[in-house]
Amino acid sequence: MLPLTLLHLFLGLSASLLGAFASDHQEETVKGFFGRNGTSQSTHTNNWAVLVCTSRYWFNYRHMSNALSMYRTVKRLGIPDSNIILMLADDASCNARNKFPGSVYANPGRHLDLYGENVEVDYRGYEVTVENLIRVLTGRVEPSVPRSKRLLTDEHSNIFVYMAGHGGNEFLKFQDNEEISAFDIADAFEQMYQKKRYNEIFFMVDTCQANSLYSKLYSPNILATGSSQVGENSYSHSSDKDLGVAVIDAYTHYVLELMEGINKTSQSTMQDLFSSIDPNKINSHPGVRSDLFRRPLDKTLITDFFGGVSQIEVVDEEEGVEEEAGLAGGNGEDSVSSTATAQARSFVIPGRRASRSKRHTEPISSTSTTTEANEIWGWVGSSTRTWGAVALFGGLVGWVRMRS
Amino acid sequence: MSSSYSSPLLRLGVVLPALTVLKLSAHLAGVSDVLLHDHQLSSPLTSFSQLQEGLYLFRHGIDPYNGGTFRHSPLLLALFSSVLPSSKVFMATLLALCDAVAAWALVRTWRARQNVPSSARDGLVAAAYLLNPYNLLPSLALSTSPLESALLLLAVMFASQKKAAPSLLSLAFLSHLTPNAILFLPPLLLLLLTDPHSHLASPQKISFKRHKVLPLAVEFLLYVGVLTVASTLVAGNLNWVAQTWGTWFTLPDLTPNVGMWWYFFTEMFDHFRPFFLMVFSVHLLIYVAPLCIKFQHDPLYALFILTGILATFKAYPTLADMGLFLSMISIFPETFPYLRFPIVTSLLHLHSALLLPLFHHLWLTQGTGNANFYYASTLVFACSNGAAILDCLFAGLRIAVGKEVDGYDVVQE
Repeated sequence: MLPLTLLHLFLGLSASLLGAFASDHQEETVKGFFGRNGTSQSTHTNNWAVLVCTSRYWFNYRHMSNALSMYRTVKRLGIPDSNIILMLADDASCNARNKFPGSVYANPGRHLDLYGENVEVDYRGYEVTVENLIRVLTGRVEPSVPRSKRLLTDEHSNIFVYMAGHGGNEFLKFQDNEEISAFDIADAFEQMYQKKRYNEIFFMVDTCQANSLYSKLYSPNILATGSSQVGENSYSHSSDKDLGVAVIDAYTHYVLELMEGINKTSQSTMQDLFSSIDPNKINSHPGVRSDLFRRPLDKTLITDFFGGVSQIEVVDEEEGVEEEAGLAGGNGEDSVSSTATAQARSFVIPGRRASRSKRHTEPISSTSTTTEANEIWGWVGSSTRTWGAVALFGGLVGWVRMRS
Repeated sequence: MSSSYSSPLLRLGVVLPALTVLKLSAHLAGVSDVLLHDHQLSSPLTSFSQLQEGLYLFRHGIDPYNGGTFRHSPLLLALFSSVLPSSKVFMATLLALCDAVAAWALVRTWRARQNVPSSARDGLVAAAYLLNPYNLLPSLALSTSPLESALLLLAVMFASQKKAAPSLLSLAFLSHLTPNAILFLPPLLLLLLTDPHSHLASPQKISFKRHKVLPLAVEFLLYVGVLTVASTLVAGNLNWVAQTWGTWFTLPDLTPNVGMWWYFFTEMFDHFRPFFLMVFSVHLLIYVAPLCIKFQHDPLYALFILTGILATFKAYPTLADMGLFLSMISIFPETFPYLRFPIVTSLLHLHSALLLPLFHHLWLTQGTGNANFYYASTLVFACSNGAAILDCLFAGLRIAVGKEVDGYDVVQE
């Protein structure tokens, strides 16, 4: 009795240990795939951006330009409009005081028009409120809100959150009649973490005393940066002589300058971004908060947050089958089907072998139905079947001729 | 027969080869490339490019019935991937030969009906089939519908010659290509059990040996069964049934054709789709029994009318189906004096034959028309078909009444 119990216990323990430590072959392939994703080891599968400009009126032209320059950057680097939530008061480009209507320029001299074509603003005018921002971030929107105005992220989404406007110590002013506090933002991000709505967040703020806005964050996997410390102002870059207003803020200007030199294949890291901002030039000290961020900054690519870059690997189906067949351990079902597939492959007609030499993935349906077909007729190849059918038909015709 | 028809040029031995050669040279001149994708001449079930696609997939080990693009019978798949080459030139030759065989079968049927070994009108009958543009153009477009016409005419010929087995085998093969052809079985059986001679002028109650019907029907089903086994052998599984026969009943492919189903079902709500599919399919059944009963004295005529009805109302018709009906009129010259409006019918056909490609071009090529234009032209075509069928039906019945005599009225009992 006792030896039997001990044996059962031993078997149970070893089985559970095996189960705990054995990883599915599929999982390993996926992990290896992500591991080959350059040096960044990021595990995100999609990118989103939430770009907020919290000011309105003509004299806050530069805040509009800030948000639009970030919009231009993320769009250029591959994030589609469906994955961007752009919140703007949107009263600068068609303002009666705009000498160049329909445009928002990023630099004096008006070389770069950020508003020219193909700008999709999701929340405009009076829709840019604290409530809407928090609803968008946490996903608690009314059923009537259209898809383009929702943040439909999942646990593998990297989100770039950018906020520009007038701010102060642990607050940010929204459209001159309300404000959002650093605690609100921290709580919103925590809700997102609890609801598995992000993989990593990059939070960038360009306001006065911006570093205070990320000081209260407490959720993991967030990288935050601001344009000025507590007690410092963030300054505008320069104004355009013809427009008569400041066209962009200094911090965002230098960020944009760096971004304009980056394309989707760039391996520039976040560390490069942070190092490129010179406090002397922008007259304030930008800050970085990376204690909640688990990856090293010099291994995190800029395109992890700013771009919609996908890693693609073309897998030859042959490798997968041979690997599966080689993995004798596996689960029983897998090995049986893979050997059946291997068997089926050896009996296919020569035409298929020729196509195998090209590096392309065979359509899945063909494998399954050829396997199915071959399973139904076992050892009979398709040309044998064809001739058999023709012989049957010929036999029928001959028999009929004999009868008449 | 009138001597004006006995010109040496119209002898069968001259007409058949000459027109076949003419057809082949038209193909070689490049006419086929223009007509290959025409929706009037080939439907998704008879298209040559679809056949080639299916053969390509089959040759590369992919099940052609898995994708929903290939709807030809597996028998064609087997024949064209083993015995017959599948090139365009060979297809054109094959179809030219099929048309020649069909014309020859029509002539043999004509001779059997007249009970003469040869007649002066043979060449005219053959020319009526071969030169009919409704037959000529589909075979130049390399569609497989002339093959179906040839099979039906062969079945009719063998039945007229009292050869049951070849007739039923042809019909069985045709049923594999077009399940609608099963509707030809009752008049064909009646034809086998009576005779093809013209009794239109003197209708009598039919007398045939009832106990012979069942063995013949069983023989037909046996042939269909063996061909089904052969088809399943080729295809490897039973996907082909849903993709070939199922297409006729579920109408998954709404490519425009000269029929009346496609437009109706493009705008059909899904909720009503099964009901209307059932209605349209069962609708074909209602013509068989009345025709066989009314024309029990002349089953060949019943079969002829049924050809026309199926050409008008089947799910994926092409012009070749109507061409078969119109060419078959030539073997019933006794009805010609009694046709009430042949000029109207011919003009209607001319009208629709001009409108169909015009509106098709306007809708699909030029883009200045819409589907309603083409649907309207298919309605005109159906109108002209209806006019032809009704006129032939009337003429077939009217012969029995005979010539009108002054002072006497024709009254139905």
